[in-house]
Amino acid sequence: MTHPSEWTLRRAIAFCAALGVGVATYIAVEAAGGDAPQCIAGSTGCATVAKSSYSHVAGVNIAVFGIVGYVLLLASAFFANDLARFGGFVVALGGFGYSVFLTYIEIFKIEAICQWCVGSAVLMTILFVLNATRLIGYAGTEGEGTAGRSSLREAPG
Amino acid sequence: MSEPEDRRKQLLQLAAGAVFLAIAVVLVLIVVNGSSGGDGGDTSLEGVAEVNRELAGIPQQGMVLGDPKAPVELVEFADLQCPYCKAFAEEVLPSIIETQVKNGEAKVAFHNFTIIGEQSPPAGAAALAAGAQGRGWNYVKLFYRNQGTEDSGYADDAFLESVAKGAGVENLEKWNQDRAKFLPEVEATTAEAQELGFNGTPSFAIEGPKTKGLEPLGTPESVGDLEKAIAEAG
Repeated sequence: MTHPSEWTLRRAIAFCAALGVGVATYIAVEAAGGDAPQCIAGSTGCATVAKSSYSHVAGVNIAVFGIVGYVLLLASAFFANDLARFGGFVVALGGFGYSVFLTYIEIFKIEAICQWCVGSAVLMTILFVLNATRLIGYAGTEGEGTAGRSSLREAPG
Repeated sequence: MSEPEDRRKQLLQLAAGAVFLAIAVVLVLIVVNGSSGGDGGDTSLEGVAEVNRELAGIPQQGMVLGDPKAPVELVEFADLQCPYCKAFAEEVLPSIIETQVKNGEAKVAFHNFTIIGEQSPPAGAAALAAGAQGRGWNYVKLFYRNQGTEDSGYADDAFLESVAKGAGVENLEKWNQDRAKFLPEVEATTAEAQELGFNGTPSFAIEGPKTKGLEPLGTPESVGDLEKAIAEAG
């Protein structure tokens, strides 16, 4: 199976993670100021979700955890080694899993949709796919994997 | 097998394990939350999400709804068990909240005036304890939404707690501890209502730059009457 080059994957991960840092920071800053993030088209979903008891874990706004996760993912894109590949995968897996849970909560428990949370969930899903592709394609590779295939599996013998 | 291949195999096995673990954790979280209360999870109550949605984004301090700096304060004296209070809260007050409260012209305070029965003071204190956690108006509105037959005994501890859960009170243990502490405040506002000359619920009083302290309004007939009173007080 061919994969995009690790160079391409790393840059895509860095781009999505940077966007994620922006989204999570916006939500965290609005919450810290006592407001809720502004939904588009006058929807009150963002305020409903932000005021719900699910917006905090152990007294900390979940957007703060989001910032930490996105920063770790951004950092993982700067290194071409197995620690970065596996670490990035684990963080993205955790973020994706938690996004699935939060989306379930929004739909079935809070009965309101926060557009910013959906945006973050979409970014986490993309990041999970990118990091999984990177790990499957290039785990065990010394240095940066080249385009198309893992340099490990391209090596003869 | 070469060392890089070994490492690759180990990493992919670890990743597969992590995926199974993540799936298990998410499923457990969903099952646990599906069987507990919360912002919309208490199916024994009606209108949980709707009430919380209606009040989302409006500041609450104690039992005061609206911008704390709003010049006019409308004070409602009510009994949570009173059907007329429920009707007023659902048919008249929402218009005032949508306009004069949201635009910062007025704030609305809920004061207990407990006249229905022996479950009224504990219910009022439960609302005040929710107010201490910023969910007082959610509590009042959700209580009204699920109000039972007047003084029929429905407002027991289990009902009060389910309303607290539905209203989004985060620290239920603290809420439970606070309830008794607020009973004297319920008595005090009931006495205040009597001093203002009220003998029925809901009754209103208003205070603003153009009033001489807290002035009794009685029970306004319509949204228009309340809007006019707020405009004149400001």
